Amino acid sequence: MQAVLFGLLVGGVYALASSGLTLIFGVMRIVNLTHGALLIAGAFLTYTICAATGVDPFATIPVVGAVLFGLGWLIHRLVVQRAEHGGEGTVILSTLALAMILEGVIILIWGHEPHSVATSYARSSFRIGDLVFPAAQVYGSACALVLLAALHTLLNRTWLGRAVRAATANPQGAELVGIRVERINVAAFALGAALTGAAGSILAVLSPFTPDSGDQWIGLGLAIVVLGGMGSLGGALVGALALGVIETLTATYGSPAWATAMPFAVIVLTLLLRPQGIFGVRVREDVVSA
Amino acid sequence: MISMTGVYAGYGGGDVLQGLDLELAHRSVTCIVGPNGAGKSTVLRTISGQLAPRLGQIRFGGHDIAGRHPARLIKAGIVQVPQKNGLFPAMTVEENVLLGGYLRRREKAYLRGRYAQLAERFPLIAERAGDPAGNLSGGQRRTVEFARALMLEPALVLLDEPSLGLDPRSLGLVGDTVNTMRESGITVLIVEQNVRFGLGIADRGVVMESGRVLMADSAKTILDDPEMGALFLGGAP
Repeated sequence: MQAVLFGLLVGGVYALASSGLTLIFGVMRIVNLTHGALLIAGAFLTYTICAATGVDPFATIPVVGAVLFGLGWLIHRLVVQRAEHGGEGTVILSTLALAMILEGVIILIWGHEPHSVATSYARSSFRIGDLVFPAAQVYGSACALVLLAALHTLLNRTWLGRAVRAATANPQGAELVGIRVERINVAAFALGAALTGAAGSILAVLSPFTPDSGDQWIGLGLAIVVLGGMGSLGGALVGALALGVIETLTATYGSPAWATAMPFAVIVLTLLLRPQGIFGVRVREDVVSA
Repeated sequence: MISMTGVYAGYGGGDVLQGLDLELAHRSVTCIVGPNGAGKSTVLRTISGQLAPRLGQIRFGGHDIAGRHPARLIKAGIVQVPQKNGLFPAMTVEENVLLGGYLRRREKAYLRGRYAQLAERFPLIAERAGDPAGNLSGGQRRTVEFARALMLEPALVLLDEPSLGLDPRSLGLVGDTVNTMRESGITVLIVEQNVRFGLGIADRGVVMESGRVLMADSAKTILDDPEMGALFLGGAP
């Protein structure tokens, strides 16, 4: 029971960490391999802001989100938009190259050593009966859920969100209703980067990180998006919670070494058994006019 | 209403439109027919702003609109219903129709009013409002596309192969919709492979070949012309 609940808390943060990927990969269909580097850039930025000002790491989220939004904007404008002319393979290779450059820049600024962000509540926890919940984990998950709810509202209740969904699902159709598809794509990519940065801020509190910690998050993020169903935010949330529980249970009753392999097992099994994911929508393909 | 003069346009590998001249009368329904590759769809793409002409003028409402972004043209009153895949399949029917009003998205009362009018005119919109558009049949999708195109009360509607993939009953519905568009003062330009259907619902016919207008006359005259019958209808009717 303890392991399941802890897994759910972990999964809440996973959900936010993968929400940027849900938007960029699941909705926009861009395989963005800078995802891990952006996440860790968010973590290091949080570290620096906290070290310089002494504010609570969760309070850095707006600033980190804004910086990553700008970075995402630049990445899309300067790299992804141009690479897209060369097809998906070009996008994958150029974002992979960019991820390595970003990691190099992070090493140049912050060095190789593991960093962590200290908080006053790092050692405190909540108790309900026999169950123990680390405070940082609870705050982190709560923060993640608030941001996810905001993203959900943005995508489903605002015109910007509708334009993002329309432009990514059907660029030509979007253009014919007057949506400026290129502008919307840049904004959506930047938003994905901002969410990823925010997740980095939360992760900075939960565990120590190094410049290459981002790598493991790409596999995890892809697993969540595939499991939940491409482009479904609700699916990504459920997928993330499920993966959090699967990992924690594997680590508790199996071994931590197996836990890191779980995301990849999930990708393979999902694609074999239910390719559209838990919440993926299958639409009719039997009619010509879509 | 709209006139194209000496328009040259293409996709990089030479011009598809080779000095096209075309004029549409206000409140008319015109159907362009012609063999594959004649440049019929390119005419629509050039008017709706998806393709900028290399040379020539397109005059609409007293302005030269050649090469303007689709968003500006929609504001000016020109809207296109594409040949296929026009909708957003994962979004609901209601969202799809409302997106037709994207450019006036801040005018909530206006959009609500327009949506209500369209839901009354096309009962399907009201019945299936909450369903994903991707679950609709071909004919139902066409209806949603038409409703979406009419959200901002356009002056000129461009229909690219509206009969494509439709059963006879849905074809009748397309014809009815075009008629109501004409009655409400909208100018309609149709491109059709199904020559009999297209010319049957149009007042005017335009025959295109190799990027130019070969003949423009009343739709009936073209439909009855034995030479045209041999050329495009595969023999006399």
